[in-house]
Amino acid sequence: MHLVELSAAHMGQLGAQLGGQPIISEAVAPATGVASVAWLLVALPMMGAAVLLLGGRRLDRVGPALATGLSWAAFGVGAAIFFMMLGRPAEERALSLDLYSWVPAGSFQVDAGMLVDPLSMAFVLLVTFVGSLILVYSLGYMEHDPDKRRFFAYLNLFIAAMLLLVLANSYLLLYVGWEGVGLASYLLIGFWNHSPANAAAANKAFVVNRVGDFGLTVAIMLMFVTFGTVSFSGVNAGVAGADQGTLTVIGLFLLLGACGKSAQFPLQSWLGDAMAGPTPVSALIHAATMVTAGVYLVVRSGAIFDATPTAQTVVVIVGAITLVYGAVVGCAKDDIKKALAASTMSQIGYMMLAAGLGPVGYVFAIFHLLNHGFFKAGMFLGAGSVMHGMDDQVDMRRFGHLSGAMKITWFTFAIGWLSILGVPPFSGFWSKDAIIETAFVGEGWRPWVFGFTALIGAGITAFYMSRLFFMTFQGKKRWPKEAHPHESPKVMTIPMIVLAFGSAFLGLILGPTGAIRSWLEPVVGSGAEGEPVIAVPVLMTMTLLVVAAGLALAFVSYWRDAVPVVAPVGSLLTRAARKDLYQDDVNEALLMRPGLYLTRFLVFFDNRGVDGGVGGLAALIGGSSARLRRIQNGFVRSYALTMLAGVVVILGAVWVVQ
Amino acid sequence: MIASLSGLTALVATPINYGAVLPMLIVFAAATIGVLLEAFTPRAKRYAAQVGVALVGLVAALVAVVLGLGHQGSTLAGAVVIDGPALFLQGTILGLSVLSVLTMAERFDGVGADAFTAQGASAPGSAQEAAAVRAGATTTEVFPLTMFAVGGMLLFPAAGDLLTMFVALEVLSLPLYILSGLARRRRLLSQEASLKYFLLGAFSSAFFLFGSALLFGYSGSMDLGVISRAIGTQSGMDGLLIPGVLLVLVGLLFKIGAVPFHSWTPDVYQGAPTPVTGFMAACTKVAAFGAILRFVYVGVADSRWDWLPALWVVAILTMVVGAVLSVTQTDIKRLLAYSSIAHAGFVLTGLLAFDRVGVSAVLFYVVAYGFCTIAAFALVSMVRAGGSEATQLSQWAGLGRNHPVIAGAFAFLLLAFAGIPLTSGFTAKFAVFSAAVAHGATPLVVVGVLSSAIAAFVYVRIIVLMYFSEPAGDTVRAVSPSIVTTLAVTVGVLVTFVLGVFPSPLLDLAARSSLFLR
Amino acid sequence: MSSFPWLTTIGLIPLVGALVVAFLPASLADRAKQVALGFSVVALLFTIAAALEFKADSTAQFQLQEQHPWIEQFGVSYALGVDGIALVLIVMAVILVPVCLLAAWHDVPEVGKRQQNYFALMLVLETFMVGVFAATDVFLFYVFFEAMLVPVYFLIGSYGGPRRQYASVKFLLFSLLGGLVMLVAVIALYQQGPGGADGFLVEKLTGLKLDQTAGRLMFLGFFFAFAVKAPMWPVHTWLPDAATEARPATAVLLVGVLDKVGTYGMIRFCLQMFPEASRWATPVVIVLALISILYGALLAIGQTDIMRLIAYTSISHFGFIVLGIFAMTSVGTAGSTLYMVNHGFTTAALFLVAAMLIRRRGSKRIPDYGGWQRVTPVLAGVFLVSGLSGLALPGLSSFISEFLVLVGTFQRYRVAGVIAASGIILAALYILLMYQRMMTGPKPEAAAGTPDLSHREKWVVAPLILSFLVLGFYPKPVLDVINPAVARTLQIVGVTDPAPTHPGAAEGAVK
Repeated sequence: MHLVELSAAHMGQLGAQLGGQPIISEAVAPATGVASVAWLLVALPMMGAAVLLLGGRRLDRVGPALATGLSWAAFGVGAAIFFMMLGRPAEERALSLDLYSWVPAGSFQVDAGMLVDPLSMAFVLLVTFVGSLILVYSLGYMEHDPDKRRFFAYLNLFIAAMLLLVLANSYLLLYVGWEGVGLASYLLIGFWNHSPANAAAANKAFVVNRVGDFGLTVAIMLMFVTFGTVSFSGVNAGVAGADQGTLTVIGLFLLLGACGKSAQFPLQSWLGDAMAGPTPVSALIHAATMVTAGVYLVVRSGAIFDATPTAQTVVVIVGAITLVYGAVVGCAKDDIKKALAASTMSQIGYMMLAAGLGPVGYVFAIFHLLNHGFFKAGMFLGAGSVMHGMDDQVDMRRFGHLSGAMKITWFTFAIGWLSILGVPPFSGFWSKDAIIETAFVGEGWRPWVFGFTALIGAGITAFYMSRLFFMTFQGKKRWPKEAHPHESPKVMTIPMIVLAFGSAFLGLILGPTGAIRSWLEPVVGSGAEGEPVIAVPVLMTMTLLVVAAGLALAFVSYWRDAVPVVAPVGSLLTRAARKDLYQDDVNEALLMRPGLYLTRFLVFFDNRGVDGGVGGLAALIGGSSARLRRIQNGFVRSYALTMLAGVVVILGAVWVVQ
Repeated sequence: MIASLSGLTALVATPINYGAVLPMLIVFAAATIGVLLEAFTPRAKRYAAQVGVALVGLVAALVAVVLGLGHQGSTLAGAVVIDGPALFLQGTILGLSVLSVLTMAERFDGVGADAFTAQGASAPGSAQEAAAVRAGATTTEVFPLTMFAVGGMLLFPAAGDLLTMFVALEVLSLPLYILSGLARRRRLLSQEASLKYFLLGAFSSAFFLFGSALLFGYSGSMDLGVISRAIGTQSGMDGLLIPGVLLVLVGLLFKIGAVPFHSWTPDVYQGAPTPVTGFMAACTKVAAFGAILRFVYVGVADSRWDWLPALWVVAILTMVVGAVLSVTQTDIKRLLAYSSIAHAGFVLTGLLAFDRVGVSAVLFYVVAYGFCTIAAFALVSMVRAGGSEATQLSQWAGLGRNHPVIAGAFAFLLLAFAGIPLTSGFTAKFAVFSAAVAHGATPLVVVGVLSSAIAAFVYVRIIVLMYFSEPAGDTVRAVSPSIVTTLAVTVGVLVTFVLGVFPSPLLDLAARSSLFLR
Repeated sequence: MSSFPWLTTIGLIPLVGALVVAFLPASLADRAKQVALGFSVVALLFTIAAALEFKADSTAQFQLQEQHPWIEQFGVSYALGVDGIALVLIVMAVILVPVCLLAAWHDVPEVGKRQQNYFALMLVLETFMVGVFAATDVFLFYVFFEAMLVPVYFLIGSYGGPRRQYASVKFLLFSLLGGLVMLVAVIALYQQGPGGADGFLVEKLTGLKLDQTAGRLMFLGFFFAFAVKAPMWPVHTWLPDAATEARPATAVLLVGVLDKVGTYGMIRFCLQMFPEASRWATPVVIVLALISILYGALLAIGQTDIMRLIAYTSISHFGFIVLGIFAMTSVGTAGSTLYMVNHGFTTAALFLVAAMLIRRRGSKRIPDYGGWQRVTPVLAGVFLVSGLSGLALPGLSSFISEFLVLVGTFQRYRVAGVIAASGIILAALYILLMYQRMMTGPKPEAAAGTPDLSHREKWVVAPLILSFLVLGFYPKPVLDVINPAVARTLQIVGVTDPAPTHPGAAEGAVK
C-alpha cells in the first residue's frame, strides 16, 4: 500500500494506527517478561548522565558512584534478559519491543522500538560488563580530577548511546545511538581540552566520523526509496526483491559509515589522536566497544551484504588494508597508547575482513570482537595503570622492567598480550585463528591474497605487541631517578584482573564449544563452512610459526638488546610509520587546504561579488541621479528648452509613427 | 431684420444652473470681499478678518458642493459641466484649501502670517523693507489671492470647453505666481522662483492655447463634447487632431509637473513660502489632474491609440526621473518636489487605464496625496535653525530625539509617501496600479514599483537621519505651532492613517463619482 | 469550528500590550519590561488554547476561521485562519517572543521612553507575525508582510550596533524591493481570479486556470519576494549585516520568525496557487537551494564574527528548507515545515547564548575568546548543546527535520539529496570549530571571575533546549498537525510521492 494515494484525512489516522503497530517479521516475536523492560538498558545510564550533568557541584562526591551503580544495574537487566533468552529455543530468541510512533511524516513512518536478539544481547553484555568494570577502574584513575562528575556523566551517556545503537530496531534509531556514541567520544577525547591539542583531536574525531555519517545517511535514504522502510525487518524482507546494483551501492555507503566509526581505511586518521582522552576512555570507547560499532553495522546488515558480493569484497579489502596498515604503524610507535590504538585499528581490520566473508565470517567477527573487547580493554587499563605509576609518562622508551614494580599490572597485561598474539589456549587464539582459516576459504585469487594478508598480519601483530610488552615490562629499567613506579590501588587492579580472566578463558568457553556460533546463528544465518585452500592443521602451524617468529624478533631487539632512550632515526618505513604513513599530510593536502582556500575565496566573493553587484546598482542610480541634476541648472532658458525639446520629440515621434 | 431677429435670438441669455456653480460663486465672492477688506479695514484687524473670510468662504463653498450634489449637469451653455468627478474634485480642492489656508495663517509669535514678507513690493534688504517691518506691515493679500486661485481650481476640472479651461488655468495660475514670490525669508530665491514659474507657466499656456486652436480647427468647436463627436467622422482636417491633443496635454502636464515639463517644480517648490508650496503641491495637482481627466476622457478618448504611447513615455519618464533625482537631493523641499513629480507619474499610470476604475483610482490618489503633502510641508515649516526654516537635510539629524512628536508625524507621512501598507499611500498606489494592470498597462506598473523602490530609499534615509543619527547640534529646533497648523497637521496625518486602514467609504464615493457627463 | 475569534485575539493582545507599554505613566516606567512580558505570556496562553481547538483531522483547509469584508472595492476581506503549517509557525512565534523579551531584559538599561518603545516595538512585531501567518487573504497577507518591516527597521536602526544605519536600510530596501515586485503579481493574480468583494481569499485564488506565461511570471513575482525574505543565495547579503547589527533578541525574531514568512509563503502561495509554474521552476530552485546550503556553510566556516557566523548557518539551513519544499514529496515538505519550527528554536538558542557570551566578554570576535569552558562551564554547555542542535545531531529535533528533508528530496532527486547530505559534514565543521576556538584551550586569566548563567538567563535557555529534546524524541504531535496540511498542498500541486522501488514485506512498505 502506498500512503501517497491516501487523502490527507486518512493520513493522520494512519499515522495514529502505525503508532501501536509492532514491527513483525516472521522471526521476531513481541517482547515479553523481562525483555519488555529492555528500554531500561538505555534509560538507566541516560538517567545517570542527566542527573550528574544537571545536578551540579553538589553531586561531585556521590556522582561517580551513582553513575557506576547505574551502569551495573544496566548490566543486571542485560544479564536477566540474557538468561531469559537462554531459556527459550534458539529460533524464538529474537524479541521486538515496540515503544511508540517516532517519526510519522507522510510516507516516511518510523517507530521507535528495540530489537532484542542474540546479536544485540552479545553487545549489551560486552558493553555493560566491560563498561561497568572500566567505570569502577575510573573511580580510582580519575579520583583527583576536579571534573570527574562530568567525566562519569559522559561515560554514562556513552553507555546509554551504545546500548541504543545495538538495541535499535531501525537504521534511523541506530543512527541516533551511532551519533550519540560519537558525541560521547568527542566530549571525552576533549575532556582535558584546556590543552588545544586535545580539543583539536576531539574535533578531528567528530568531523571524520561525520564523513562516515554522510555515508550512513545516504545508505538509509537509499534503503527508504528502495524498500519504503528503514526498519531492519522491513529492509531484510525487501532485499530479496531488490536489484544487485542498488544493494551494492547501499552496502558501500554502509561501509563508509562503518569505516568512519571503526577507524578503517581511509577514515582511520582520527583514532591515534583520540588517545588524547583519559585512558579509561581509550579502553572503553576507542578499544572495546564504540570502534567496533562498524563491525556491528556490517553484521547487522548481513542480509544486504550477503546479496552483493561486490560490496562484500570491498569490505574484505578494506579490512585487509587496515589490518596491515595498523600493524605497520603499531611497530613504530613509542607512545604506548598510540601503539595500542594502532593495534586496535589492525584488530578491527581482522573483524572487518571476517565480516566480509559471509555468515561464517560474521560469527568469527563478533567472536573476535568480544575477545578483543576483553584483552584490549585489559591492556589499555594496564597501560593506564603504568601511566598512573609513572606520573603519566607514555613513552615506552622511558619504561622497561616494570614487571618488578607493578606485578598485577604486569601479569594481567601479559595475559592480554598472549591473547592478542593468538597463543593457545588464550581467547584471541580461538577467534583469530578461525578468521585466518576462513580467509583462506574460497576460489581464485581471493583466498590466497586475503589469507596470507591475515597470516602475515598475525606475524606483525606478534612483533609489535611483544615489542610493546618487552619495552614496557621487561629489559632494563630506563625510567629517570625521580620516577617511583608503584602498583595501582585495588579499585583499579581488580577490573584488570577480571578482564584478564576474560582474555584468558572467554574464547575457550565460546569457541571450541561452538556456543558462539549456535548463539548467533538465528541472526546471521548458517553459511556452509568451506574448506580452506590449505589444510587446517598446516594453516594452524604456519600461523603459530609466524607468530613465534614475530615474538622472537621482538625478543632479540627489545628485551635482549638494550633499547635506546632516544629513538634511532630508523628506516624509511619506520619513519613513515611513526607519522602514521603520512595519513594526516594526505588529508591536509587533499581536503583541508583546498577547503581553506575555497572558504577564503567565498568570503571575499560574498563581500565583493554578490554584495558588490547590489552596491553597484545603487551606485549606478546615484550616479545617474547626480548626472541628471546638472540639467537642473536653474536657468529658465534651459528649462524652457527642455520643455520645447520634449514637445518636439513627442510630436516628431507621433508624426513619424503615422 | 431677420438678421437682427436672428441677432436677437442670439442674445437670449443662456440659462444658468446657480445651484451647480454656487461653490465657485461663493469662493470668488469671498475673494472679492477680501480685496475690499484690504482696502478698508485697519491694518491691525486685517489678518483676523482676512483669515476669517477665507475660511468661512471655503467652508461655505464646501457645504455648497455637498448640497449641490443634486445639481449635476452641464450649464452656462456647456461651458461648465458639474458631474461626479467635478464635484468630487471640487470638494477635495476645498477641503485641502481649508488646510492650506490654516497653514498660511500660522503666525507663530509674530504679528502677521509668518511665512510671508512684510511688504512684497519692497526690494529685499532695502531700507524700505526694514521700514515696513518696523511699521508691522503684513501681506494679508495672500488670502484673497489664495481664494482667487482656489476659484480657478474649482473651475478647472469642471470646464466643459477648452476656452473655459484656459481661463480657469490662468485664474488659478496668476495668483500662484504672486504667492510664490512673497516669502519672508530668502526673498531673492522666492522672487526668482516666482519669475521662473511665471515665465514657464506662460510658455506652457501658449502650448495649451495653440493646441486648443488646432482642435478648434479640427472640430470647429472648443466644446469637448463636440470634439469627441468629431473624432471618427472624417473632416478634412484630421491632421490637426493629434498635434492639438498633444499640445493641450503639454499645457496640462506642465501643471502636474510631468517630465519633461517638470523643470520648474523643484525651483518653485523650494523658493515659494512653504505653506504656498504645500498649497500648490496639493490643490494645483488635484485641479490639474481633474482637467486632464476631463480633457482626455470626455474630449479625445476615442483617438487615444494615436497618442497613448506618447503619454506612456511621459508617465515612465515622470516616475523614473522623479524617483532617481530625489536620491541626491539635500534640501527637504526640493526632495519633496521631486517626490511629487514621481507621484504624478504614479497617478498617470492609473489615468492611462481609460476606465471608470482608473478615474476613481486617480480621484482617490489625489485626495490621499493632497492631505499627506500639506501636512508634510506644514511640518517642514516648523523645523527652524536661527529663525529661518532648516531645509538642509543634514540639519534634520537627530530630530527624533529632541522632537519625537514632529519627527514621528513626519516619519509616518514619509512611510505613506513610500507606500507602506496601513497608510493612505499604499491604498492609493494599489488603486492606480490595479487599475493599470486591469487594463493592460502592466509594464507601466512594473516601472512604477521599481521607481517607488528607489523613492523608498530616499524616504527611508530621512527616517535614518531623524532617528538613527546623532543630532547635528542644538541649533536646530522645532517651533511650537499654534492651533491652526496643529489642526492642519493633525487632519493630514489622521486622513493618511484612516485612508490606509478604512479606505472603503472614500473608495466607494470615488467609484460613484467616476462617471463623466458629456 | 469555534465561534470565538481566536486568531484576532492572539494578534490583538500584543498590540494592546504595545500601546500600554508605550504610554505607561512615568511612575510605572520601570515596569515596562514586566508588562511587556506579561502580555506576551497571555498571548502564548491564548495560542495554546487555540491550538487545542485545532482538529488535525478536519477536512477544511483552514480552521479557526474569521472573515469580514474589509475593502470590498479591491476584493479584500479581513480573513484569518490556520492550517497545520500556519499553526505550528504561530505557536513557535508566540513562544519565541516571551523568550526574546526575557533575553532583552537589559538591552536598554535606562528606564524611560526609549526602553518602553523598544519593548512596544517587539510586541507590535508579534502582532504582525501572528497576522502574516494567519492571513487567508492574499492582500491581507501582503499588508502584514510589508508592515512587519517597519518595527524591525526601527528595532535595528535605533537600537542596533555601530553599523545599524547601513544594516537597517539594507534590510528594508531588500525586503521592500521584493515586496513591491510581489505587489505586481498580487494585483495580476486578483485580475486572473473570480474577482468580487472577496476575490482575494486564498481559496478563491487556488486552482485557477492560469495562462502558462502569466502564471509563471506571477510565480516569479511571489518567489522573488520570498527568496529575498528566506533568504536564498544570491539575495542573502542583507541577512548577515542585519543579524550582527541588530540586538540579539531582534535578530532571533528576524531570522527565526520573519524569514520563515518566505519559506511559508513558498508553500502557501507559490505551490498552492501556481502548481504548474512551481513544477516548472523546480530545477532552478533546487540548484539555488543547494548553493545556499553549501555556500552558507562554507561562509559560516570563514567567519570571525559570532553573529555573522550564526546568520550564515541560517542561510544554509534555509537552503535545506527550500530544498524540502520544492522536492514536493510529503516527506520533504513535512520535513521543511518541521525544520522551520526547529530552526526557529535552534537559531534562538544560538543567538541568545552567543549574546550572553558577548555581554560578558564585550566582543563579537571569535578570536577574542578561548578557554571559556573553564570560566563559565554551564554557559559553555548550553552553547555546545545549541551548537549540536545547529549541526542537526541525531537525537535532537533538528536532526529529524533535516533528515526528512534529505529523504524527501532523495526520493525524487538522488543527486540533489546526496549533495545536500554532504552539508552535514560542513555543519560539523562550522559549529565545532567555533566551539573549539571559543570554549577550549587554557583558561583565560583575564576573564577569571566572570559570572556563569544567571537565573533569568537559565529561564531564557531552558525552554529552547527542552524543545530540542522533546521534539527530538517525540515529534509526533507536531507532525500529526503538519501532515494533513502538507498532503493537501501536494494534492493541489498534483504530485504524488514516488513509490519505493522494491517494497519489502507488506507492512514494511509503510514503516
